[in-house]
Amino acid sequence: MKAFFAIFRLEFVSMVRSRALLLLALFALAWMFAVPYLITGDGTAEGAREISIRYGFGGVFVITLVSLLATASGSIARERAAKRLPLTMVRPVAYSLVVFAKAAALTLSGAIVLAIACLPALRMSVDGRWHSSAKCNHVLQPLLPSPREEACVMYEVYMKDPETPPEVKRAKRSTVLRLLEARAMDHYQTIPTNETVKWKFNVSGLPGARKAIMGEGDDLPSVRLRLSNMNEVRQDVCGYLSIGKIHAVVSNQTLAVLTFPLSPRSDGGAAEENILSFRNDGSGTSLMLRPRKDVALLVPADAFVWNLFRAWCELVSILALTISFGLFLSSALGRPVALFSAIVILAVSEASPGVISQYPDELETKLSDRIALTVTRFVAEATQPVSSLNPLERLSLDECIEVPEVCRVAAVNLFLLPVLLSLLSGIVLPRKQDEV
Amino acid sequence: MSMKEEHIVELENVKKTFRDFWLRPTVAAVDSLSLTVRRGEVFGLLGPNGSGKSTTIKMILGLLAPSAGEVKLFGLSPRSIAARKKLGYLPELSYLHPFLTASETLRYYAGLCGLSRKEAASRTKELLEMVGLSDVASRPVGGFSKGMARRVALASSLIGKPELLILDEPTSGLDPISTKEVKTLVKALAAGGMTVLMTSHLLADAQDVCDRVMIVNHGRCVAEGNVAELETSLEEFFLAKVGDVQDFQLAPFLAAQNVTGKDK
Repeated sequence: MKAFFAIFRLEFVSMVRSRALLLLALFALAWMFAVPYLITGDGTAEGAREISIRYGFGGVFVITLVSLLATASGSIARERAAKRLPLTMVRPVAYSLVVFAKAAALTLSGAIVLAIACLPALRMSVDGRWHSSAKCNHVLQPLLPSPREEACVMYEVYMKDPETPPEVKRAKRSTVLRLLEARAMDHYQTIPTNETVKWKFNVSGLPGARKAIMGEGDDLPSVRLRLSNMNEVRQDVCGYLSIGKIHAVVSNQTLAVLTFPLSPRSDGGAAEENILSFRNDGSGTSLMLRPRKDVALLVPADAFVWNLFRAWCELVSILALTISFGLFLSSALGRPVALFSAIVILAVSEASPGVISQYPDELETKLSDRIALTVTRFVAEATQPVSSLNPLERLSLDECIEVPEVCRVAAVNLFLLPVLLSLLSGIVLPRKQDEV
Repeated sequence: MSMKEEHIVELENVKKTFRDFWLRPTVAAVDSLSLTVRRGEVFGLLGPNGSGKSTTIKMILGLLAPSAGEVKLFGLSPRSIAARKKLGYLPELSYLHPFLTASETLRYYAGLCGLSRKEAASRTKELLEMVGLSDVASRPVGGFSKGMARRVALASSLIGKPELLILDEPTSGLDPISTKEVKTLVKALAAGGMTVLMTSHLLADAQDVCDRVMIVNHGRCVAEGNVAELETSLEEFFLAKVGDVQDFQLAPFLAAQNVTGKDK
């Protein structure tokens, strides 16, 4: 451990004395204060919050991520080029510990910068500008079969259908299933006029949620719906929402993402506590929504400050994994190649989910496109531990970043994967040194 | 085997061939080299530029893997942590972290050697006094002269109280007084039981401090023996074994300047 702290301290002192940490911290503060003046919002508190978090905090995170990735991917390679690395390697310290200690020091630097960026965000939440969003919400999705299960059912039906194109029938089962799974996520449910739909929720895992649904306590749940119709035209929505002992009357709302606060029922009656029902009372055409994406029960959770803290934990975990990857590249490659590879992989990992979702089905493409799509999908899957996390988006929408998720992300991204990458770096490091 | 005969470093038929990107052999830096360094002796590895001394040292340190043959340090692999615990190394150039002070540099290496905070502080103070840098202990080493940086590097190689000290050109960059002090230090360390393996181009220095020397050329051992048993000076012995290497082609230049090598 003494060796770990010696290397950790050296790397951190290097960040401080090279003024890299100071510059990043000053940038973070300046950017957080400047963004509300640089980007014009819609005049609402929610708009101001979204700008500050997405563009302010998000900008600080991106700059910190890129600069620390560049530092990490140059760190060991620079030491090697300056011939200082052998002086560490001949000491009685495991090579993987050298890499892990460096990763820890760079992660601490990033954590400090992000914490500094949190301060203006915190002030804005306390002084009342965001009074409407003092609390965040647990977001519950309806209990439905998984997209995979739905895809399997659809596959059997699809294959028996004589109208299914022969090229689809010839295609690999896994490919068709993947496409059907993607479609299952966007599966629409129709709500005809004067009919009621019901969605089941699991509220047992959230302490206090059942109480809130039964209309007890000060903070009552809301329902978020994203409604549309067949013709994609403006249409007023009328209806009635209820769950447990709380309800909301929906009247003359324009199609959009709508959040309906629920209140105790005046008639004192009660529906089932885990079934949300929505009756379409509108006189227009049927309404449509995707239950997996467009229906959410929002149960009040804790204060914004705690949600910010959890978002910070997730962001630090992402930094830790990215830095460890940069150090791994630095152990295996020379500085320019490591830096170039790190930036390219970062860019591809960010872009790949968008490419996959927007690209035509594999069955409709040429061989060269299929190869490129396979590579992109591999990168997307390999970088999923980082790219699938979106704490800032959820923070800006006041969605609670759940504690079990934060623990899982921290265990994997802050500890497990960095340790694994450090061990790999420890194997690569002497082999690369052998080439020098 | 008595303590005196214990082999601290053992190389047996060691070869090192560097390869290019396509794994084609480019340079055979060390070729079938065998050597042993016994506990408590000062062993000099001598040879002209490009003879394979540094490659040999790097293999002993575990920084390079031999292409063939076996290297043992304290009877272990040079990459084992147990072997590295007993090792001190002074490279040819100092390679210090320029933003650290002299005392921070020593404390950093003390940490790597697993010394406690208290031990590190006392050892740092003791070594900085020994190399005469107590007054500048809190100055960043980036501003040091080459000689001062060399002394910090020497102190850092001794911080973990090593049993084997490997010195690559220890007097490089030092003035004559400091050179003399380093030689005195090496003799004192050896007298205290430390084993020293050193390389040097300054044969007079090597003659002063080494008990035994090996001369290598083109990666091979050309001579090995006790310095005390030499009938001539080490320099004459060296030239007799290695020959006139003549890396420089001076004759045309000297002719153009109207001087002769003899005049010079």
